Amino acid sequence: MNNALKVAVLTVLTTAFYAYVGHMVPQKITYPPESAELESDMTTEQMVKVGGEIVATKGTCLACHTIGSDKPGRFPDLGGIGARAGTRKSGMDDVGYLAESLYEPNAFIVDGFNPGMIAPSKPPVSLTDSEILTVIAYLQSLGGTPTVTMQTKLKYAGQSPGPAAPGPRPTSLAGSPGAALDGAQLMQNYACVTCHKVDTPEKLIGPSLYDVGSRMSTAKLYESIMDPDASVAEGFPPGVMIATLRATQFYDKVTASELKTIVTYLAARKGKG
Amino acid sequence: MTRSMILRQATSKKRLPVLILILAVAIAAVLAPVDLACAAGQDAPGSGADVEYRAFPVVGSRVIVWVFAELHLMFAAFVLAVPLFALIIEFIGYKNGDKRYDALAHEFTKLLSVSFSFTATLGTALTFLLIFLYPRFMNYLGSIFGWTFLPYALLFFAEAGFLYSYYYGWGKFSPRVHMGLGLGLNLVGVVILFVADAWLTFMMTPRGVKETGELLSLWGAISNYTWMPINIHRLIANVAFGGSIAAAYGAYRFLGARTDEERAHYDWMGYIGNFIAISAFLPLPFAGYWLGKEIYAFSQNLGMTLMGGAFSWLFIIQAVLIGMLFLGANFYLWVGMERIEGATRYKRYIKYLLASITVCFIVWATPHSMVATIEEARRMGGSHHPMLSVLGVMSAKNTAVNVLILTTYISFLLYRRSNKEPTVSWARVGQRIQFSIFVFTTLFVIFLGVLGYFVEAKVRIGLSVPQVLSVLLTMIMVTILDILMYRKARITGSINWGKMPARSQYALFFITVTFAWLMGLMGYVRSGIRQHWHVYGVMRDTSPDAFTPTLGFASSVVSVTVLVFFSFIAVVFWLSSLSGRRNWEPTRPS
Repeated sequence: MNNALKVAVLTVLTTAFYAYVGHMVPQKITYPPESAELESDMTTEQMVKVGGEIVATKGTCLACHTIGSDKPGRFPDLGGIGARAGTRKSGMDDVGYLAESLYEPNAFIVDGFNPGMIAPSKPPVSLTDSEILTVIAYLQSLGGTPTVTMQTKLKYAGQSPGPAAPGPRPTSLAGSPGAALDGAQLMQNYACVTCHKVDTPEKLIGPSLYDVGSRMSTAKLYESIMDPDASVAEGFPPGVMIATLRATQFYDKVTASELKTIVTYLAARKGKG
Repeated sequence: MTRSMILRQATSKKRLPVLILILAVAIAAVLAPVDLACAAGQDAPGSGADVEYRAFPVVGSRVIVWVFAELHLMFAAFVLAVPLFALIIEFIGYKNGDKRYDALAHEFTKLLSVSFSFTATLGTALTFLLIFLYPRFMNYLGSIFGWTFLPYALLFFAEAGFLYSYYYGWGKFSPRVHMGLGLGLNLVGVVILFVADAWLTFMMTPRGVKETGELLSLWGAISNYTWMPINIHRLIANVAFGGSIAAAYGAYRFLGARTDEERAHYDWMGYIGNFIAISAFLPLPFAGYWLGKEIYAFSQNLGMTLMGGAFSWLFIIQAVLIGMLFLGANFYLWVGMERIEGATRYKRYIKYLLASITVCFIVWATPHSMVATIEEARRMGGSHHPMLSVLGVMSAKNTAVNVLILTTYISFLLYRRSNKEPTVSWARVGQRIQFSIFVFTTLFVIFLGVLGYFVEAKVRIGLSVPQVLSVLLTMIMVTILDILMYRKARITGSINWGKMPARSQYALFFITVTFAWLMGLMGYVRSGIRQHWHVYGVMRDTSPDAFTPTLGFASSVVSVTVLVFFSFIAVVFWLSSLSGRRNWEPTRPS
């Protein structure tokens, strides 16, 4: 064979091999976070629910924090923070401390951890003041009682960039695949019902989800989908769900809005019919 | 005067003015919209500022910009790197009086003139694409870096002037003057690189601007967190990449050589090119550590996206590529020992070196979480393999890459001393010291790797620094000892340049393609970690392409780009080889 042809074949085969390796690793598309639209008359319960969703999604808090784990991540575990928050700094109540942690996270560093957390009120996370109020409500609910309302005025209010900032702009995910489907349809489409019953307490390969809304918070539901091995239901082996979701490419396909729909659907399963 | 008249006049002269004209058009294109935005102080209707994005047909805006940017970067890397080592080789030839070095340096620069034209053309196309497809982003970038564009344009003229006078002035000036031109070429090239790096690193780790994006300090924007780490990383990587392309050219000419003399010359050229590539490649992970550290220092979120998020699997692909590079480089050295008389005594060590490389490669390429079926996961008790997941963490991977570097360095040492016997009285002691240093460093690196499993994450991250420094120090100490020990060494056999099997030359091509692919992949992750931001945390990407694609998709784009690049490189090689051919003469009637 002509030398030039041999070199060309070698080049094509080498690049094809590396492309093949690239296709063999887990595949995932990451979409921009969706902005939550909040109403000013939300109840505390609703705020906790929305705050939990923001913590698990747009806030990207769980990239560094854990909730109720003995092995904290890069930053402190948030389990029981609602009870601890009021005692962290003298003269500062829980709302004040949590607000400071979110607007000026490096003002107080918990022993044993390094500074470095970026303020969620600023880009790239860019939570609005209203979103931060819901996050505070959620954090208070972890071991404490939420007292914050949508009317609570924080001294930092107005610092988050909001819609006037020329750089960041809200991104619409409207029209993303599956957005029109409801939770039950999505559970069917992603074959969740193959392993989980949603309308009866019968166990299949995984536990029944018919009363999961009364057993788990919204944040816990997000965690049990996105990181199933973080806490495994008693009597069920770890690793099975994550392997299944990877094998069915669930994580590659599911969008942020679909995930939200599934979690909302599951949160409504209280075990009554 | 119309544009066609200008073009006609320009083409009637030599290549340089044509190039300058192309550059002028490109620069004018860059400056024009920025000028408009600056002068108006607001978005003028119809200026393009009211249009945020335009769509490119079929492949989309992002992919077309991605491909052109990568092609431009690959050629730019080559054009900036070759003068660096050409000048050093010319200087060696000047000092030792060996004309072969001068000829080799000249041959390397032959590749430059055509490549420079490719770089400028691709850069122009990239500029047009960015302005047309991303007008809002380009207006913003112009509002920050507008003042750097004119110096950049002038530097490009200076680069063209130095490059062509360096190439066409070969042998026409005194060596000192000629090397002065080479030095000028290199200095200008490095400054160009630094200016362009300011733009792209600002997009990743912006500084010197208000939270709302307005400029506070131009120098602040330039000297952002990752500017200097990227400058150094790119400078070294460019040399590695340029060396490998030059080696591939040597291999291409070797395979087509008709005489033993030609084969010997191009075998040597391939060897030197590969030597440069691998020598530059070895310290690259250290520069990478620095870059990673600065990314974390800028934003924990950005660091987590890089190492712990969607891109964590990219480093498994990178491990495969680097494993292949080390394997290819060692293979070439081992085959090269066949052409050296007296190298047989070292052949028995090759199997141990190969075993070391294989083990390190396996460790590096072992993922932390396994892709497994339900049954497999059930048997494993989770997504982490009970035994192999131990190899998937950074402690194991850092250890593996450091031992890989040491192994490759040992291969080079064996190659270097293949036909030499030291004559100094302390040779035996010196060799024992070298051996002890290797053993101590290897055990030290492995000890730190194992220690990493028993300490907190905060301490574990810090262990990579002594690992890296011990390997670096070992290479420096052993090299110094080796140079002193083999100063007046007895030559036991000659190096038969040209007596190389063809498979060694294909290994050089393999290394070059792997380098190019690695460059494409790492370029992707550097840019990709910004995710849905044009300028991280400052200017959001609101285009339909704001999502981060799968690694499979990215791999396909990189592969296509690499294939296009090598198609262009084939043209460069062919054009460069024309200069050695005889002039055409009309056939005379018999």
